[in-house]
Amino acid sequence: MSFGSPYTTLPDFEYHKPANLEEVLALLKQYGDEAKLMGGGVGLIAFMKERLMSPAHVIDVKEVGELRQVSRVPGRGLSIGAAVTLSELLEGGVLKKDYAVLHEALARVADPMIRRRATLAGNLCEAIPWVDSPPALIALDATVEIAGPDGRRNVPVGSFIRGPVDIDLGPSEIVTAVAIPEAKGTDSAFEKFTGGSEFSLASVAVVVAGGGKSTGAKVVYGAVNSTPIRSAEVEEAIKNGITPGSVRKAADIASERVECVDDVLATAAYRKHLLKVITTKVLRRLMSK
Amino acid sequence: MREVSVKVNGRVRKRMIKDNELLLDFLRERLEVRSVKAACWRGECGLCTVLLDGHLVKSCLVLAVEADGREVKTVEGITVDGELTPIQKAFVTHGAAQCGFCTPAWVLATHELLKANPHPTDADLVEATAGLVCRCGTYNQIREAVAEVSEGSKPHRQPKESLVRA
Repeated sequence: MSFGSPYTTLPDFEYHKPANLEEVLALLKQYGDEAKLMGGGVGLIAFMKERLMSPAHVIDVKEVGELRQVSRVPGRGLSIGAAVTLSELLEGGVLKKDYAVLHEALARVADPMIRRRATLAGNLCEAIPWVDSPPALIALDATVEIAGPDGRRNVPVGSFIRGPVDIDLGPSEIVTAVAIPEAKGTDSAFEKFTGGSEFSLASVAVVVAGGGKSTGAKVVYGAVNSTPIRSAEVEEAIKNGITPGSVRKAADIASERVECVDDVLATAAYRKHLLKVITTKVLRRLMSK
Repeated sequence: MREVSVKVNGRVRKRMIKDNELLLDFLRERLEVRSVKAACWRGECGLCTVLLDGHLVKSCLVLAVEADGREVKTVEGITVDGELTPIQKAFVTHGAAQCGFCTPAWVLATHELLKANPHPTDADLVEATAGLVCRCGTYNQIREAVAEVSEGSKPHRQPKESLVRA
């Protein structure tokens, strides 16, 4: 039987389907860096086809009950289990009101069939510079909850992503959930430009105090550099209100000050232009809210 | 190797498979369900789309072992008593297939869309099929086919200018 040419087959591995978190941790302890965790598998299967990853063991966690929970605790915020899919988050509408920035970012990830499989934790753990959830999660002050052989720890999303495809996660650790603090009363929005490709060439996530106020603004750019960039200068430009004047100023500052890179998708100069466009778009949208 | 048991288009199929086998290969090579097309292998073209437990997924991004004990439906599984469904008939009427390679995936996706949302707007259609590609460019014919089913048996008429805008 022929199974096609290179890049269509997967390297050999043993598949494991643990029933609970305890079993996941035991497998991780046993196999360490020979194992890869699989949520929706969207990223992992693609990476394995390219032979960027060739794990001897694949641990499928998509049905582990502890990782399937979405819980909201008043005053503490929202906790999203690592195996919750993007479709589940979008259809449940749990993000729509207080976490619009994340809802908008996830609603435009790839396509509905991919979103049916992809998980928020998986999108984050890919740490590819042009994925969309990290800027939104950083703007929302989200933290990553991690379990491992030495117990549990929490890391802010901004420091969890250390570089391109480089995350703060040990070989025997697993992301169990993404926690987002309460954001009641804030306004937020997300914009990206893809130029027709499925990848963002530039993206921006903004969270402001809401009710017409723009104090405590957080502005985070994605896809323009190896990791998301929070811009204090753009935040400063809108701190006294989002007005036509401050929007223009913020867009100019974004374009001039946010560091962009050249890569296979776009040039730095083009990204700088896009920063101006998406900053204007996202802030105008918040202005009219 | 391990044995999996997958219900495919209503029939339980048991096969020995390797852990690293894709659902796409399982369907095409082991079961010879050839309506499921292998093209990009990387989740971009959508032509390997199948229903896994009632949800549309791209089978090149699913392991065969994940389908163990589950139900898979392909375009062969949506007809009732060998009778074409309304959307299949509309595809024929409107010439919504050129080379036909992508047609099974489009039929499956539009069939599911119409089931969930009997009167989809153009925007609903674009969103629901965002993961599918037709290199012949039959998008307008597909839209007419969907519109016809949406409106019942009445043939669909649209102003000419909306046909040239995607």
